[in-house]
Amino acid sequence: MRSAAPVSVGWLAAGIGLLLLFPLSSPDAFLLDVFTTGFLLAAFAASWDVVGGVSGQITLGHALPFGAAAYACALLTSLAGWPLPLAVAAAILLAAAVGMGIGALSAPLAGPFVALLTLALGEIAHEAAVGHTFFSGPGGYAWGGEGGIPVALPWRDAPPFSSYYAALAFLCLASFGMLRLSRSGAGLILRAVAGSPITAQASGVPIARFKRLAFAAGSAFAGAAGAGFALHMGRATATDLSLELSFQAATFAAVGGRGTIAGPVVAALVLHVLFQGLYLPPSARVLLYALTLLVTLRFFPGGVVGTARELASRLGRRDGTRPARRGGRNRTGEGTR
Amino acid sequence: MSALLSAEGISKSFGDTQVLSGISLSIAPGEPVGLFGPNGSGKTTLVNILSGLLPPDAGTVRFDGKEITRLPLDARYRLGIARTFQIPHPYPGLSVREAVRVALTVNAGKRKEGGGTREDAEGPAEDLLARTGLFDQRFVPCARLSQGCLRRLEFARGLACRPRLLILDEIFSALSAADEGDLTALLRAANRDEGTAFLLVSHNPPLLKGLCRRILVLEEGRIVRERNV
Repeated sequence: MRSAAPVSVGWLAAGIGLLLLFPLSSPDAFLLDVFTTGFLLAAFAASWDVVGGVSGQITLGHALPFGAAAYACALLTSLAGWPLPLAVAAAILLAAAVGMGIGALSAPLAGPFVALLTLALGEIAHEAAVGHTFFSGPGGYAWGGEGGIPVALPWRDAPPFSSYYAALAFLCLASFGMLRLSRSGAGLILRAVAGSPITAQASGVPIARFKRLAFAAGSAFAGAAGAGFALHMGRATATDLSLELSFQAATFAAVGGRGTIAGPVVAALVLHVLFQGLYLPPSARVLLYALTLLVTLRFFPGGVVGTARELASRLGRRDGTRPARRGGRNRTGEGTR
Repeated sequence: MSALLSAEGISKSFGDTQVLSGISLSIAPGEPVGLFGPNGSGKTTLVNILSGLLPPDAGTVRFDGKEITRLPLDARYRLGIARTFQIPHPYPGLSVREAVRVALTVNAGKRKEGGGTREDAEGPAEDLLARTGLFDQRFVPCARLSQGCLRRLEFARGLACRPRLLILDEIFSALSAADEGDLTALLRAANRDEGTAFLLVSHNPPLLKGLCRRILVLEEGRIVRERNV
């Protein structure tokens, strides 16, 4: 996998500036809600990229830590009466532990077997959540099943723009954290493990430990997004654990460019806002996501960022390959010294 | 002198095929040893067992007096046993410098106890790349390297842990005369200046005679001859 995309600070500032100003244009509550869920899904897509892109562990059960954190948040606030910040922190820790467990189970496996294992684990959790009304809430209401479990929020009817700004702030912080991770020494080792596990191991890398790290880190960020999603929706539902959600995250990463973090964030935002904004039924949206993935894999296997890099690289070669300028970045995203 | 690496009674079979039968060998600190044998004699299997990529069916491997028979490849590298591959497996998305940094970062982590950072590996990476003649290609993606440069990169990766023993599996095969000359000089320098012992697997007897003090001949999974050069 290539290193994280060298995002231009100017473009980034312009994008964040536009998103900050957007609520001032008096959009309706529906559009604000679409953007808010888009920010949370974008962070979720980037967290998939930590595992499936940067670290090369293709997971089809990434909704498991997302949903586990959402359910933990709901149960701890509604059933155990925990204060919200404590419940959110515990939910993120739980998601990281779930990721650590998935990483430990998948450590001896490679390629499609990791995908199959994560798919199976995710589906077991989803079926368990759908099929059981395992708690009785106050007033005799059955909790669980398709209806999910409510989150006890300390506020009532928060204005839509507050959720919007909170989700945007979360996306910026989480993306920054994930970019920093992917560009750190640990991130470099994760990309080595993704590229050639045997060479990485022959370079002294304990593969199993770094696989667990990849799943734990990606799952912690997924869990944070899941907890945020549960707060925004007011409840955790079985959909938070669904294969459809895992598939969406993988699609966003493939379209944006695997291993780039920024690519999946942008792809998730654009595709989610576009498809939701078209007022399409859920089944049509799934079809559109599938078609987008097929077209991307067939014609742009490196995703948007990968294709842009390839084009830039070809143009550079046509003009005569030059060494990267001092202080700039070369084709692999490495800075020169 | 006590052995740096010793193997006793190493046997390995794949299904019904017995590949190695009761091999015993030892390498002294700083000793350059060659391993020669026809195709299918079990050289790569022996290298895989000595480097920790494969467990033996029977026998023990010791390094510096400690038994390491079940120690995996990565742990042996951190201990000071580095190996190269007959067919290099480069990281497709990393540059040459990043590939060397991976090994250096892991090693820096071992030295610092608190875990290595990319910065810990920067200076040594540049030095290692200059030493192995890869400095000008440090920003080139590994996937675009020529066969000669890939072998140099394998060598650089091996040197990154400051090895006490280098196990080199056919590192000189399919190289140009210039690349072979450069790698030979590098190997001699590592042996002479840093006292690095090596086990060099090759099909080329003149090359082995030129580089090694002792040559082991492997045939049908057994060491049939041992020659001092």
